[in-house]
Amino acid sequence: MGSLTIGAKYKTTLKDPGTPGILRMNDDKFTFTPNDPRSAMKLNVEFRSIKGHKFNKVDGNKPALLNLSKDSDKGGGYMFEFDNVGNRDLCRDFVARVLGKHQGMPPRPTMPPEISVPSAGMEQLSAAEVERRVKLLREDSELQKLHKKFVLGNILQESEFWATRKNLLDDVANKASKQKPGFKTAMSDVRPSADGRTNKVTFNLTPEMIHQIFAEKPAVRRAFLDFVPKKMTDLEFWRKYCRAEYLLRTKNTAAAAAEAAEDEELAVFLKNDDILVKEAKLKIKQVDPTLDMEADAGDDYIHLPDHGILRDGSKETVDNDSEFARRTLSQELNRHAAVVLEGIASDVELTDAKSVAEALARSKKEPPSTSAVDDTSHERLLKVARMTEIEDLQAPRSLPYAPLCIKDPREYFDSQQANALRSLGASNDGRKSRNCSLSIEEAFHHLTDQISSIKVNKSNCTVIQSDMAVKVLNELNEGISRSRRLNLKNPQEGLLGRVPQHTRDELMDHWTAIQELLRHFWSSYPITSTVLYNKVQRVKDAMTQIYQKLQAIKESAQPDVRHEISRLVKPMTQALDAAFSHDLEQQQKSAKAGNKSNGF
Amino acid sequence: MSSAHSKLYSDDVSLVVIVVDTNPFFWAAAALPFADFFANLVHFVNSLLLLNHLNRVVVIAAGVSSCSYIFDSSDASAAGGVGVTATFDKASRKVEEFIAQDARATAGNGSVVSGNAASLLSGALSLALCYIQRIFRSGTRHPQPRILCLQGSPDGPEQYVAVMNSIFSAQRSMVPIDSCIVGTQDSAFLQQASYITGGVYLKPQELNGLFQYLAVVFATDLHSRTFLRLPKTLGVDFRASCFCHKKTIDMGYVCSVCLSIFCKNQKKCSTCGSEFSRVMPDLNSMPDQSK
Amino acid sequence: MPQVLVVARNFMDMVAALPASKLDMLYDSAFICEAVLRSLPPLAKKYALQMLYVLAPVAAAAMEEWVLDEYASKHRVAIDKLLQLRVFVEVRDRRKEVSYKMNQKFQGNMQKYLVDGGSLPREPIPLSVTGRLPASADLEAYALDQWECFLLQLINSSQVEKGTSFSSSMMKTFQRGLLSSRDGEAPKLTENGFQFLLMETNAQLWYIMREYISSAEERGVDPTELISFLLELSFHKLGAAYSLNTLTDVERIAIRDLAELGLVKLQQGRKDSWFIPTQLATNLSASLSDSSSSKEGFVVLETNFRMYAYSTSKLHCEILRLFSRVEYQLPNLIVGAITKESIYGAFENGITAEQIISFLRQNAHPRVVDKIPVVPENVTDQIRLWETDRNRVEMIPSHLYEDFPSKEWFEQCCDHARDHGYLLWEDSKRMRLIVRGEFHPEMREFLRRQR
Repeated sequence: MGSLTIGAKYKTTLKDPGTPGILRMNDDKFTFTPNDPRSAMKLNVEFRSIKGHKFNKVDGNKPALLNLSKDSDKGGGYMFEFDNVGNRDLCRDFVARVLGKHQGMPPRPTMPPEISVPSAGMEQLSAAEVERRVKLLREDSELQKLHKKFVLGNILQESEFWATRKNLLDDVANKASKQKPGFKTAMSDVRPSADGRTNKVTFNLTPEMIHQIFAEKPAVRRAFLDFVPKKMTDLEFWRKYCRAEYLLRTKNTAAAAAEAAEDEELAVFLKNDDILVKEAKLKIKQVDPTLDMEADAGDDYIHLPDHGILRDGSKETVDNDSEFARRTLSQELNRHAAVVLEGIASDVELTDAKSVAEALARSKKEPPSTSAVDDTSHERLLKVARMTEIEDLQAPRSLPYAPLCIKDPREYFDSQQANALRSLGASNDGRKSRNCSLSIEEAFHHLTDQISSIKVNKSNCTVIQSDMAVKVLNELNEGISRSRRLNLKNPQEGLLGRVPQHTRDELMDHWTAIQELLRHFWSSYPITSTVLYNKVQRVKDAMTQIYQKLQAIKESAQPDVRHEISRLVKPMTQALDAAFSHDLEQQQKSAKAGNKSNGF
Repeated sequence: MSSAHSKLYSDDVSLVVIVVDTNPFFWAAAALPFADFFANLVHFVNSLLLLNHLNRVVVIAAGVSSCSYIFDSSDASAAGGVGVTATFDKASRKVEEFIAQDARATAGNGSVVSGNAASLLSGALSLALCYIQRIFRSGTRHPQPRILCLQGSPDGPEQYVAVMNSIFSAQRSMVPIDSCIVGTQDSAFLQQASYITGGVYLKPQELNGLFQYLAVVFATDLHSRTFLRLPKTLGVDFRASCFCHKKTIDMGYVCSVCLSIFCKNQKKCSTCGSEFSRVMPDLNSMPDQSK
Repeated sequence: MPQVLVVARNFMDMVAALPASKLDMLYDSAFICEAVLRSLPPLAKKYALQMLYVLAPVAAAAMEEWVLDEYASKHRVAIDKLLQLRVFVEVRDRRKEVSYKMNQKFQGNMQKYLVDGGSLPREPIPLSVTGRLPASADLEAYALDQWECFLLQLINSSQVEKGTSFSSSMMKTFQRGLLSSRDGEAPKLTENGFQFLLMETNAQLWYIMREYISSAEERGVDPTELISFLLELSFHKLGAAYSLNTLTDVERIAIRDLAELGLVKLQQGRKDSWFIPTQLATNLSASLSDSSSSKEGFVVLETNFRMYAYSTSKLHCEILRLFSRVEYQLPNLIVGAITKESIYGAFENGITAEQIISFLRQNAHPRVVDKIPVVPENVTDQIRLWETDRNRVEMIPSHLYEDFPSKEWFEQCCDHARDHGYLLWEDSKRMRLIVRGEFHPEMREFLRRQR
């Protein structure tokens, strides 16, 4: 595996500019030597103490980072920054390999699954992949057993083993959540703080708040994009915005009107948000058309005396006449809620107001205005049709369903064996059918006779004699008490019971192993490459070994159960025989066809 | 589960659909004459009706070429078991009619080989499930349904797909299928049916005591089954029939797309049309290990 | 649950309490056998069925083996019921091993049933004699009318316009246990009375029947005969006419009373008179098993605690008043609300939260019956919370001990009380402790010994 030496910066936190130095890694440990010999940031860490590693997605000018975490629960670890992604990936792959090996190593008995990432493997495994595999192995002891037997026994390659289990891996992968933090549900209020002495009002805006303002007020966002580099600076823009906010808050309509007249940029903030208005109009079109919104408008109590919402100590009133229509608290609440629900568009970083505004503008492309009038009305009609539920036409309410499932494969094994055993001692229960072949007419005639005899003697009073009833009852009771005595959950075991437990387990193990091998065997046909050829050879060898083991079990069995065991083993050997004969056939064929057959 | 079953009666109220094998070839050679068998059946139906006034029993006959309802207790007057006698006269008449009709159908069919034809189990099961679905969808409360198959004739491998489909839909709607074998051979279909749906499979030793088996084992309602130990099958025959020749096979080929089973290597899946030959020139799909 | 609720099943206990000879006499009738069998728990039915053709005794152990170990209690209940009702008879052999045998009369009747599928107790009069009979809807309306009228009279004799013809002494018998009257005051409903009103119709019916039968002896009538007649009645065909002439004298008197309750409708023809069983009668034996009849409900309860009851019945209004505030009443609709006060009022009367909830569930309007849950969860939770509110403080009579001369002595006393599980509270700083009242004599003795 060797070692790796690379230049990197060691960072204690994400924000830390980092200490430049040299990172050296080998199979057991990694060391970091800072370029500045006075620095105390020297590291010498054994890989044994590293539990996992993480790396970031690199795009643009962001640094390539690698984080080696000590304990996934506690989150302590070592963070390195690299000059470029290539270096980082080199390092990452190295770490992945070393970690994979370490976690597979037995020195720590707390890690049961043994996994080795093939050093010669062509595939480069991401750490996440390795982790997923380790987890699967840890959870499924049977899988682990197979893995141990074949991969560590060098019969199958790691990749071959997992290739047939892609769905398992995918399942795990899909379950990982990709949730991102969204907006805060609390409304962040841009609140002025006034110090008592001067007549100055201070607003405090954080990047987060700016992000939210942009999201909630598209007009402000648009204004920002229009004005900022050309007409005014960032700071100026926000000053104007805050001034407008202040005017709105103090409800100084007159002053607001006056100022708006003077300053057209300021007026933008005071006016109603036209983008929102447009959006609202579109939304209203999408509302359930059976809902009569105009009827509800009369229910508005806000304008009545003694009604309304208290905000900042005073009642909110709606002044419809003013040009600068006031946004009411409920409107703001609604808008905020909508934005929170929409969530943060991906790839938006809270770094700089400009990029935030651009990203938001991109994600909020104006809805296509191509929708012609007749188109919308048609859509509306469709919607009406969809919303009006006609009871008779609804699908029947769903009935209770049990999900279909495949039962434990082990049960199938047991029961198949039990079946084989039973057919051995196939009891001839005195019911012999008179083996006469009748023509169709004769048969039906006989049945019709029987039915007419039913009609004639309807009053055959007792269908069953007492002694027969007792006999049947005893027979059933016996069966029940037998199963009770054995206290078996699984009736099959009653038949398998005579076979010693360890033999049974051994056979079961062989059975699962054979199935795995056969799957690989058959799936490598037709043999088109040397890799497949080699694989088939390896698999065949393993099968031969198992075959011999099965024979040995059969021969070493106690005489009283030998026959039973041979019955148990039979389907396995049959399946193996089929594979061997197929192999032979193929060999003969290719020998006949000469070298050109499969191209190798 | 409990919420979904709010429409079920809480107690032991049952709907039992009995599928009766009326295969003339079987009954002609059976140790138990059909007349005696029918008397047993009548007693059993009456005892089910006796147990609870809300119990319902439906009898379906499965013949060689057709199947049909021959008795429905809800046709009898609603109050108690009154009028059952008359109904059973009617039922026996219906059986007679059914058999005559089945004979005509069989004679016209031509494909039935004398002496060795299976009964239409798949059709009867489908009828039973349809009836149960109708009960599920009607009214506010319904009894707990189960199906009992009284089979004598051997399985018809050609019905494999249809029977398995019925079994799975029974499993899905949580209807157990009980099986009582009155013939000589075990039925792989019914073994699987009872195993998959959680019913009881039983092959009585003493056919003369048939009623006692029915009364002790198969009259037990689903409510009581939760706390009873009932006879269990030892070993279920899980073998499948191939889709091409309807033969029961130990080992075969499975379509990797739709899981159809074939006894011989095929160029193309006859069920879903997937072509195997293109992908792999020779012996392509993996053999199933006959689970 | 208070005893009244299980009254329907208790009826069979009453049958079981009859002396063995009378019980055996009852089993002469196939109908009684059938009714008894149907009233049994499912497991007992299974046992009975499997013994139907078995004459020899069957070992108890063999039966028990069928039952899974964790459900052994079910087996015991089933066997107890079978023995009480003398369907099974216990037999002990020489080795003292218990086995059961089926009652022969019972067995014979049931075997007969299996052959012919049951028959009618008596032949109905042909339509040619009776002419047109009431339609089933009319009959049902009549039955419910009669029954409600009776119930109203039972709880509030003054409110009824047309009283039933029950003698006041009979009425008194029925009211026994349901109403309590102090001298000079109007009779008031007791706890049992309130619970009675919330019960299902069939359960109410059985309660009244039980009272009726148990008071029979005072009237010089054999209760066995009445029981047999009642059970037989339930096997008559609904809506068919049966001649009164086929009845015995006792039965003829009884049938007039039953007509008052709405179990049967009496009609007078030109020369013959007959009775027509209603739903109430035919459901009698059916309701003995757990599966209750499916009657259409009328109450819609909303999550805002408002209640709409589509009913014209005065009785329903009275019942709803027990636990809700009725706000207004339209000809076919009662509108009310569940309030804390109304529920507290119900609790005062001894009605439990569970009873109210189960009443609301049982009587839910068909429109809401399909919903899950039928009664909004917030309402049921709130009703339960209100009930537990009342039980916040538990009263325990107890004694306080203080002024101990030494710490040591105090500790000893504490330990002594704690060891016996009677210590409620201790304050070691000020050396005081509280001990349950019933432990006081023991405590005093202990203190004396210490001295």
